[in-house]
Amino acid sequence: MIQKIVVKTLIIVIGLFVISCKHSHENNYHTVTDKIEAKTVSPENLTITSKTFNENIKTVKFAEDGYEFLIPERKSQITSYNCTECHTQPIEKLKQNQVGEKAAHWNIKLAHAGVEIMNCATCHSNGNMDNLHSLTNSEIDFNYSYKLCSQCHQKEFKDWKGGAHGKQLGGWAPPRLSNTCVNCHNPHKPAFEKRWPVRFNTQKVKERQ
Amino acid sequence: MNNDNKKWYSLNLKKSPKVDSCGCGNDSGSCSGEKTKDGYDQVMNVSMGRRAAFKKITAGFLIGAGAVSSSCSVVSGDENKEKSGIEWEEYFKGNYKLMTDKEKEETVNRLTRSYELRTGEKINMTSKDAEKDVLFGYAFNISKCQGYMDCVNACVEENNQDRATEMQYIRIHEMEDGKGFNFEESDDNYYHEVPAEGHFYMGTQCFHCDNPPCVEVCPVQATWKEKDGIVVIDYDWCVGCRYCMAACPYDGRRFNWKTPEVPEQEVNKKQHYLGNRLRKKGVMEKCTFCIQRSREGQNPACVEACPTGARTFGNLLDPKSNIRWILENKKVFRLKEDLGTEPKFWYYMD
Ligand code: SF4
Ligand code: SF4
Repeated sequence: MIQKIVVKTLIIVIGLFVISCKHSHENNYHTVTDKIEAKTVSPENLTITSKTFNENIKTVKFAEDGYEFLIPERKSQITSYNCTECHTQPIEKLKQNQVGEKAAHWNIKLAHAGVEIMNCATCHSNGNMDNLHSLTNSEIDFNYSYKLCSQCHQKEFKDWKGGAHGKQLGGWAPPRLSNTCVNCHNPHKPAFEKRWPVRFNTQKVKERQ
Repeated sequence: MNNDNKKWYSLNLKKSPKVDSCGCGNDSGSCSGEKTKDGYDQVMNVSMGRRAAFKKITAGFLIGAGAVSSSCSVVSGDENKEKSGIEWEEYFKGNYKLMTDKEKEETVNRLTRSYELRTGEKINMTSKDAEKDVLFGYAFNISKCQGYMDCVNACVEENNQDRATEMQYIRIHEMEDGKGFNFEESDDNYYHEVPAEGHFYMGTQCFHCDNPPCVEVCPVQATWKEKDGIVVIDYDWCVGCRYCMAACPYDGRRFNWKTPEVPEQEVNKKQHYLGNRLRKKGVMEKCTFCIQRSREGQNPACVEACPTGARTFGNLLDPKSNIRWILENKKVFRLKEDLGTEPKFWYYMD
């Protein structure tokens, strides 16, 4: 008798379980997180690539802390690089500009932290003009300028390495090519500017009147 | 299809009996007295659910109308014949989901040719299937979105959305700080300098739910979830009942009340059958994660257009993808998670 009851309840319980778990007819995952976990593949087995979409972007490699991806090469994108083509002498020895004459780089207005915290020399070196330099004066290549930014912006740097900050170029598929800091932020004025939205939906206004 | 004690007509979708029924009420024998099946009957007398009903109702009109138009047209050249041939085949084609690869190719070819006959322009349409080991997911950084709406523009252009009615798959909601995610009070059609003081921005579109309620309610199975997780619509199978729109808890679907029209020079010619091809009037449309791009490895147009990097797209099954890193390292959440719809669209903050 007891056996019978046990068997019956078991059947009911199993039955209920089968009916209630609606997802189970299609696959055996209760949530999409379970599905992701179960179906994850090792990256070597992924065939699809986004190479064709970034072919014409010159890149350099980022490889630090176990992260590896490509970032756009920078030096060839800077109009007046090499700096030493003009800066043949240290700054102090350069010709002083006359009254009414515009100084070189007159168009650069620094809006990055405050004047007490940063000036040109915080990043640009007076010694080797073709390189940047860190807070402790070690040289940093223009192509790897993220090393400069990450001195202060540690949290952003961490998110950028992982992929939560910044922007992947071309495609989602490997190889990963991500914008480096200066591709989105003007280093002299890094904040995004206010502007008008690019469109306004006039139909929506009519519909909702 | 016939039920003796039923006095109304219903589409028996779930269990279509494998009998040759014609809707005349006779299960046995014949209603028109013919013994052998000609080509027309072979097409018409197959039990195939909803379409069969529509066919029966409209085939008569169609044949009549076709006869009238062809007999009256002065220049019934080869092109016209080809056109009506294509129209005929397109009208009676099956559900995309059930098509063989060859049939898919054929319908794509017909649609391409038909576009060429109409406009003289060539389009490049594919029916590329889902890649193996790919499950698409999307992440949206609320802290980064500035409300510029560049994504909306890119989406409209990429997906050939109707210009006159300003159809938009993406909405950007301007929300007041300190009020939580209050969609009732948010404004999705602002026009002033952004980001506005004391506001933040949140984008919504179809979230490609893993357990999509919109798919369940479609009476004709014109919408479904593909293997790579993209929820698609067969625009040629959709009957425009808008059940799915009502079932979607996220306002992800858009119904087109008029034939989408795009100036010829602005038409995106790179198309996918389930994606941005020019749709007909009175069908459901929505975001397809730019299926014509994403299946090739490319980012959707919105991701590419966003200047702030608020949008991340990728393969959830690739442990090295950016989207996976976000899911594993940021505090992510989804909208109305308690509904169990399992959207594959996560929000996070810096
Ligand atoms: S967001 Fe809406 S339309 Fe998109 S899959 Fe989910 S329920 Fe369907
Ligand atoms: S509108 Fe189209 S896709 Fe949506 S439920 Fe109706 S037939 Fe299905």
